[in-house]
Amino acid sequence: MQDGRITNGPGEIGPIEQALFRNAIVALADEMALTIYRTAYSGVLKNIMDYSTAICDGTGRLVAQGLSLPGHLASIPVALQACLRHFGDDIAEGDILTMNDPYDGGMHLPDIFVFRPYFAEGRILAWASTVCHHTDVGGRVPGSNASDSTEIFAEGLRLPPLKLHERGVPNATLLRIIDRNVRLPGRVMGDLRSQLAACEIAHRGIAELERRHGAQGLKALLDHTMDHSERLTRHALLELPDGEASFTDWIDDDQIDAGVPIRLHCTVRKTGDRMVFDWTGSNPQVKGAINNTWSYTAGASYCAAKCVLSGNAANNDGVFRAIEVIAPAGTIMNALPPAACAARGLTGFRAADCAFGALAQLYPDRVFAGSDGGNTGVTIGGQDSARRPFIYVDFLSGAWGGRPTRDGLDGNTNMFANMASFSIEAIETDNPLEVLDYEMVPDTGGAGRFRGGLSLRRTWRLLAEEAVLQVRADRATHRPYGLQGGGEGAPSRNILNPGTSQEQALPAKLTMTMRRGDVFRHELPGAGGWGDPLARDLDAIAQDLRLGKISPDAALRDHGVVLRQDSLEIDPAATEATRHARRSRP
Amino acid sequence: MTALRIGIDIGGTFTDLVAISASDAIHRLKLPSTPHDYAEGVVRGVGQLLASLGGAQVDELLHATTIGSNAILERKTARTALITTKGFRDVLEIRDLRMPRLYDINWTKPEPLVARDLRLEVVEKMRPDGSVAVALEAGSVQAAIDAVRHSGVESLAICLLHSYANPAHEQALVAALRDALPDLPISVSHEILPETGEYPRTSTTVVNAAIQPVVRAYLGRLQQGLSDLGLQAPLRLMQSNGGLTAAGLAARFPARIVESGPAAGVVGAARLAEALGETQLVTFDMGGTTAKAGLVENGRVSRAEQMEVGGGVIAGARLLVGGGTLLKLPTIDLAEIGAGGGSICRLDAAGAPVVGPESAGADPGPVCYGRGGRHPTITDCNLVLGYLDPQGLAGGTMKLDFDAAFAAIERDLARPLGLSVPEAAMGMRRIAASTMMRAIRAVSVERGRDVRDGSLMAFGGNGPLFATAMAEDLGITRVLIPPMPGLFSAFGLLLAQTEHHLTRSWRRTVTADLAPALQAEIDLLCPYVASHLAEDGFPPERRQIRLQAMMRYLGQSSEIAVELPEEITPKVIADLPAAFAAEHRRIFGFAAPLSEAIEIVSLGLVAIGRPEQDGLPNLAPPQGGTPPASRSAWFAGLGFTDTKVVARNALLGTPAPGPLIVQEYDATCLVPPGWQAVCDDFGNIVITHA
Repeated sequence: MQDGRITNGPGEIGPIEQALFRNAIVALADEMALTIYRTAYSGVLKNIMDYSTAICDGTGRLVAQGLSLPGHLASIPVALQACLRHFGDDIAEGDILTMNDPYDGGMHLPDIFVFRPYFAEGRILAWASTVCHHTDVGGRVPGSNASDSTEIFAEGLRLPPLKLHERGVPNATLLRIIDRNVRLPGRVMGDLRSQLAACEIAHRGIAELERRHGAQGLKALLDHTMDHSERLTRHALLELPDGEASFTDWIDDDQIDAGVPIRLHCTVRKTGDRMVFDWTGSNPQVKGAINNTWSYTAGASYCAAKCVLSGNAANNDGVFRAIEVIAPAGTIMNALPPAACAARGLTGFRAADCAFGALAQLYPDRVFAGSDGGNTGVTIGGQDSARRPFIYVDFLSGAWGGRPTRDGLDGNTNMFANMASFSIEAIETDNPLEVLDYEMVPDTGGAGRFRGGLSLRRTWRLLAEEAVLQVRADRATHRPYGLQGGGEGAPSRNILNPGTSQEQALPAKLTMTMRRGDVFRHELPGAGGWGDPLARDLDAIAQDLRLGKISPDAALRDHGVVLRQDSLEIDPAATEATRHARRSRP
Repeated sequence: MTALRIGIDIGGTFTDLVAISASDAIHRLKLPSTPHDYAEGVVRGVGQLLASLGGAQVDELLHATTIGSNAILERKTARTALITTKGFRDVLEIRDLRMPRLYDINWTKPEPLVARDLRLEVVEKMRPDGSVAVALEAGSVQAAIDAVRHSGVESLAICLLHSYANPAHEQALVAALRDALPDLPISVSHEILPETGEYPRTSTTVVNAAIQPVVRAYLGRLQQGLSDLGLQAPLRLMQSNGGLTAAGLAARFPARIVESGPAAGVVGAARLAEALGETQLVTFDMGGTTAKAGLVENGRVSRAEQMEVGGGVIAGARLLVGGGTLLKLPTIDLAEIGAGGGSICRLDAAGAPVVGPESAGADPGPVCYGRGGRHPTITDCNLVLGYLDPQGLAGGTMKLDFDAAFAAIERDLARPLGLSVPEAAMGMRRIAASTMMRAIRAVSVERGRDVRDGSLMAFGGNGPLFATAMAEDLGITRVLIPPMPGLFSAFGLLLAQTEHHLTRSWRRTVTADLAPALQAEIDLLCPYVASHLAEDGFPPERRQIRLQAMMRYLGQSSEIAVELPEEITPKVIADLPAAFAAEHRRIFGFAAPLSEAIEIVSLGLVAIGRPEQDGLPNLAPPQGGTPPASRSAWFAGLGFTDTKVVARNALLGTPAPGPLIVQEYDATCLVPPGWQAVCDDFGNIVITHA
């Protein structure tokens, strides 16, 4: 297959011009992302990079995506197309659109979209597109991300597609409504300004491209850019054998119906140059705030697919054409209003785990075992001693599943969300909190020929009079899965006042009051192992022992490794004998 | 005997020496590097240079070296231990969690420079305001000392939480360890980087500790070798920040010299820009595997606050971090792209042309090297277009195989694309240029600078071949090729000055009454950097200090630098919000209302040691030399055209129109049709639109 020459523009656009354009348009989307990174007010954007930028064509199809969260892969075109349905022809030069309604193309309320059209010859040729997770959009809890809301009406300010600017004039009414409905309006307004700045950068860049190629040429090149990704994606799909496989994974519960597990079920069907992710068989939508929108389920599906496909096609509509996502309405994978969805991040992570699980059966040498199950959201909010409000929102993650050729990573962000952790010194400077530790927990990675990554632990003490603590964790009862004989990772744990007489185990998801001096500890799940633990290389085990990543007890229990007395030195003969005996056991 | 200053730059393949005498005579030498001991090659080179001059007095040796970054990249660092606050020994390994690549399950984190069993803890804790939360527990200190003693480490790093706010516990720990282990080198975080952020501070302190024995040993061997040659001249090292420092300080703070090679070229460019009155200059340094861009404004180089060693080249916007070892020290801000002469040109699975990031490297190298390279590279494209001489560079030591390059391009690119060989080769050059453009945009457009307002200075072995192509795409109308573009880092060393940089966390909201507190802090910091200059041998009258505040809107999470005077009056404070807003608007295109609260996050100091004599040497090439030749080169719209090939000195006087090829000892410069070239008083080739 070859790039054809584009002849529907003025003159012929050859393969070299096409390649130059692809570089330019992706660079522009990246420049938008960098603009937000540099100008954002909130740490959620800067540290956790919970935002995405893109350039879409006039019909709202994704052409180029800036570096961004995998979970946002499908979000922008879905939201933009909802806006286009609302406004039809009623979009003028100088208009800027915004929205956050999950039931009208959005994801969850904190994710506010901003779109700016680029007009040429009286028609919209392209859209500068951004979405940012805002610190707070009102609702019943600080941070607007409680997992125990049961209706979207409790979750904050809900914006259908609206005009943020109309013909160049800011919509004062809308801005006043936002200002009155959020807890930290300065931060939200600052972050909206940074979204506008990114759109301005894109606008200038698109103007430059139009000057070079003309409106017709630009339109043809946008089409070509999507077609090129489609060809690469279909080519990568053709390389893989056909097949169908299903996998079931579980969310522990939704905090409302405590202890009732929630089923995720994914069937992957791969035929020729197509792949289908079919989520039929997943749980009906739930009362708790962990319901996915279709676009978020699609993001998880695309992320898993991209990890097994070679060739790394640029993210755009061309990729989506080759990969179909089916998520029945009314299920947790594609909820209907008024289901709550603020904490749906968890379901996205589990959807990625589940999709990987299905792919692992088709392509075992290209998929890792279950990772930490996604990040844990910890929010501590209240007032400091001067009665100034504070909201500390952090997302912790840390362990990759064992891989077909090597151990899972310790202390690394989850594949589904390239997020940073907050600095300890920054947390303590900005909040009435003391952090007591942040470290790896030994013996928590799933055993395997290639072991899973270790759990991370972080412990906080409250220094203010009182605060509301919310935690959205999971994988406490349904642990990260192993593959090819590898063991499960350790479960997550929440503990109040550890090591004291008031020590108390807490559920994975909780909302509670902390009082001055209370200590809260979270331990992430460890990741699953890959392959037979008895086949693990002795040098790797010796190193884990030396580094304190596994204990001598675990070495014997999981790997059949015997140590010489009072040392960390492995006894190869005794080990081989133990391993042999275990292998011959039925 | 004439007095010489010698600049020495070590690269992976070549060691470059450029010497300049008091009478501005220039001597240059390129010889193979000696990776088993780089000092050996340097000493040999200096010896050869002196021998060729029949002896000379040497005033100064100025040196850029990759010894530090090589040690980190190859993990040939010293066995090092780290002491942290209890509960936080894994900060070094957890890093900030982020990864540089998405959708790649085989990505692997770089190994931490201190293994987990050598990361020790003491019981203590400071609060962010510098008060003590947990006193330093003597028993845990003793346990750490015992563990260090038994571990047999060669170097030690110490980084405790909030030590930037109060270093008392770190100081007590250092005292106890020096007492117990007087010979062990110790790097302590409040000295290396007195700034908030435990991961960057830990990582930087650890780098310093882990490369210190390596750098010390290297400098020791080098100084011994030079002294064996009878040289007693001072040795100064280039730091990543673009300033020189005495060898003694470099040995104490080796983390500061990790990126010394690339820095030297940009500093040289900055000094030339200053002399030429160029207000805005983009530097473009293109070699065999990477291209680097930097920005010089009013003679000042733009700097980044941190860098990653081995982080790989940027994948567009610099958002994907975590690929390397973090160093948070002021560094000349260079954006790097994986494109160079060795970049491989191919078609992707969809049949579309792609350049790089794979490189043929030096071995097997491009097809035309005839060393077994099978994939066409950018150098092969330059050869078939006639831009490179088939007789090769540097006096024809390596001939290039035109026919092999032509055949490979025809087979892999031209035929499948339906293009002629020169069209395909030119197309690949353009794609490479559009990739390298991202480096230039990263240091200019992404900072709100309009590159069309300034000039482009190109160097490195391949820079002069691509300079006009880059300029045309960027809308730049003035291109400069400095003297010795292929040894420009060595040359840049001769133009550099001594500098020391210090950043310190100092967080205050800007209020009208801030002046006394700010003045007090500045008065505290200035003597520290001044003492470094004294150590470098600069008398007070040749010392200069520049100050800046890193500022942001309250609640924002990234900062902008605003210059401060040494004397902080109430008026200085009153003017700060407007100065900050103007800078914010310039960079980001918007500013918040002036009523919006602003805070200072940290203070930055630059102490400069001014040379005894300012001014640049006279670098114009002497008249005379080889007569012009010509060869057939291909240009769009013209096809193959008989093109003049000249030496730099042929451009003295009146501008010569393109097409034109300037062929030199160390690089080849292309002047396409529509451009003209002239050599200025400083020896630069100045290329402008005809």
